[in-house]
Amino acid sequence: MTDQLVMGPDTGPSTPAAPDREAAARRTARGRRWRRTAVLALGWVAIYAVWEATSWWFGSRLLPRPHEVLQSAIEIIETGNFVGDFSASVLKTFAGFGVAALVGAPIGYAMGRSRYWRAFFHDGVTIAGTIPAIVYAVMSLIVFGLSNLGPILAVALVSAPYVALNVAEGIRGVDNQLITMSEAFGRTPRQIRREVLVPTIVPFVFAAIRMCFAVAWKVEALTEVFGGRSGVGFQIRTEYQLYDISAVLAWMVLFIAFMLVIERLVLAKAESRLLAWRPEERGAAL
Amino acid sequence: MAVLTVTNLSKTFNLGTARESRILDDISFEVSGQTFVSIVGPSGCGKSTLLNIISGVEEHTSGDITLTSDAGGPARMGYVFQDPRLLPWRSVMKNMMYVQDDQSRDTVARAERYLDMVGLKKNADFYPGQLSGGMQQRVGIARAFAVEPDLLLMDEPFSHLDAITARGLREQLQDIWAQSKKTVVFVTHDVVEAVELSDRIIVLQPGGLIYEDITIDLPRPRRQSDKAVATLQADVLARLETLKAMAAAEPVAEPVA
Amino acid sequence: MTTVSDQPTSASSTVGRRRSTTEIEQDTPQWRKVLTSDPAARVTSLLAFVLFWVVVSALFDRVPGPVAVWTSLVDEFSRGEVFGNFGSTLYRFGVGVALATVVGVAVGVLMGLSQLSRAFLESPVLVALSIPAIIWAFLTVMWFGFGDTGPIITTFLTSVPFVIVNVAQGVRGVSRDLRDMSATYDVPMGRRVRDLVLPAVTGYIAAGVRFAIIIGWNGVLLAEWFGGGGGVGYRARFWYDANRYAGFAAWVVLFVGFIVLLDRFVLDKAIQRSFRWRDAR
Ligand SMILES: Nc1ncnc2c1ncn2[C@@H]1O[C@H](COP(=O)(O)OP(=O)(O)OP(=O)(O)O)[C@@H](O)[C@H]1O
Ligand SMILES: [Mg+2]
Repeated sequence: MTDQLVMGPDTGPSTPAAPDREAAARRTARGRRWRRTAVLALGWVAIYAVWEATSWWFGSRLLPRPHEVLQSAIEIIETGNFVGDFSASVLKTFAGFGVAALVGAPIGYAMGRSRYWRAFFHDGVTIAGTIPAIVYAVMSLIVFGLSNLGPILAVALVSAPYVALNVAEGIRGVDNQLITMSEAFGRTPRQIRREVLVPTIVPFVFAAIRMCFAVAWKVEALTEVFGGRSGVGFQIRTEYQLYDISAVLAWMVLFIAFMLVIERLVLAKAESRLLAWRPEERGAAL
Repeated sequence: MAVLTVTNLSKTFNLGTARESRILDDISFEVSGQTFVSIVGPSGCGKSTLLNIISGVEEHTSGDITLTSDAGGPARMGYVFQDPRLLPWRSVMKNMMYVQDDQSRDTVARAERYLDMVGLKKNADFYPGQLSGGMQQRVGIARAFAVEPDLLLMDEPFSHLDAITARGLREQLQDIWAQSKKTVVFVTHDVVEAVELSDRIIVLQPGGLIYEDITIDLPRPRRQSDKAVATLQADVLARLETLKAMAAAEPVAEPVA
Repeated sequence: MTTVSDQPTSASSTVGRRRSTTEIEQDTPQWRKVLTSDPAARVTSLLAFVLFWVVVSALFDRVPGPVAVWTSLVDEFSRGEVFGNFGSTLYRFGVGVALATVVGVAVGVLMGLSQLSRAFLESPVLVALSIPAIIWAFLTVMWFGFGDTGPIITTFLTSVPFVIVNVAQGVRGVSRDLRDMSATYDVPMGRRVRDLVLPAVTGYIAAGVRFAIIIGWNGVLLAEWFGGGGGVGYRARFWYDANRYAGFAAWVVLFVGFIVLLDRFVLDKAIQRSFRWRDAR
């Protein structure tokens, strides 16, 4: 979202004949960028203000004030035991993701390639995609009890339908003309898969992964809240049962920040590397 | 060289609810040896469809197609489509290599040579999205040449190019053809082009029948500016005039009996 | 598609002959055509699912089988617990999503139209998107106790950011070219909104609302699970805490059935209608 907005006030190439106008244009561009940054900061100020106001309204026992939460967060970081819980949660999220990709991608591929499998899977996959996450969380606990497998299963169940639907959509969007071209030049099915089908679906898979990731770590934490033995969700439940709300919020804030960083660093990087061939920038992806 | 035999070929497209349209109707012809065949006919009469069927990317409804290599071994095919059809996620050079069976250094050198022939050596590392439409089309032409096929199918390959570039490529095509003994099936709108290049012109008429099969017997190399080409072209055009009237009258889609 | 006979892989023969569609059609036996038809595929998939369920319930003795779930469902109906709880969940959910739609469309249009408001609202929306529903459920239960308010607010807060994002994207997606075209032809403002902006955005509103609904169900169920004020979530938790998983599963079946019907017969139709222009390309 951000980069798109920054691109707006870009001044194009200018003629040397008009240095004044060029300088003026650059000045207004800089002014506009400044104003944008200021308004962006104002957005954060607004978040802070709303938080303060709400906790004043309900009292700081029901909604701790920002600096109290900050204090709890610092405590959590200082004791250092957050590392174990974070890595447990992240590992479970990625494990669930892996399972979802292993199951969902082939299903999506079959749905995109063959009419029979599309009819076979379509209803089930769309229904699975509309079931609320809490149902998956509790179902996973029923199947596996209190163990690390529960959150993994929950993440997999939530993500697999998205992966399947996106891959199917991508496969169906494959340019048929490229396939006929490959056939005319006698390419083997394996070559066609590798050179035509896979590159076409990569953007769709990334869209699915980014969309899923935002949902997946929440489901992972949710499952841990219901019955986990480690991880961020487990800590959140423990603190909630002790009525230490500021610790609950501190864990949440830390986890959100951590996951946003992972998303930006890992996923966005990989995506821009793999999609270098695209001539134009992708639209705002959220 | 290859021998292509088309016998009683028909093609019907299903248009959904109880309608179908017959594009090719019982067509037979044979092309063999080092022959350059042009297929001309009004727009929409089924020229691209015929090439697609010959190349195997489209199924035919009935009839028979056989393709034989007379040198022994499988007949290799090259196809210049009406549009470029390049993989957008691969560079120009990778697109050239994609259709090659072996990836040896010789093959790379050959691909580079043909890329140079169409004037795009500098652009080998470009993605197709960074080329103009005509440049992409030229990559498509180089790609088909680079497989050095026994049977070369070309669907209006020069129609998106400027006159000078097109003339250069036509001359190159004649040279390559003269040296390498290919069988070429060439679709075009342009009668002058057809007369300049071909040994034989097959004229399709709307409704998918062969209207006429003209043999061109002029000495090579030919140029469009040659007097003989100009006279013959006028002659062929005059014969095609009658087709125009038919194009207007012919119904395309008919209800299924 | 028939294979191309001159592929390098089939080098054994130098003569290639391709089969025509008429020949292929004649060679396919009737029973195969029936078994591979779409309705047959759907029936097979349903059977496969039931089989899968039975197998899983046999493997894990904590997982109830179809028969046990059916009995619990009938029991729950005969106890008269179904309609009251379903009704209160629907009420909370409906109010929450309606609020989210109204607020979300307003804020989304604002964000789509003005650069400055987008810069201002960007961070709050991003933060709201990333707060898990469970936190809202915890907080609203503490704030509002065991009534309708907690679930309503949770539903609203979890789903409103998704509506905003979708609508904002839709408004911004109103193509620049078309706006320029309207400007050059001097199309009056009223017609511009009616024929250009609204048709382009309704699809995104519908898609956003549908996403909000999926997210909102999660919110309302969570809030009811942790609150004590009745509803589907409360009742499902009752059976879960009692270790009677068939009762829990019965509620899941009931609820998912309802969502599917709603999605299939109301939302899908609405979305198809509003995206008609796009699919007609
Ligand atoms: N997939 C299809 N379904 C139905 N009809 C088709 C299909 N493909 C082509 N046609 C029809 O077949 C006819 C011939 O098409 P074709 O592309 O072979 O024409 P053409 O002779 O190459 O024309 P042009 O010179 O304009 O390229 C057209 O009337 C077209 O409408
Ligand atoms: Mg054509």
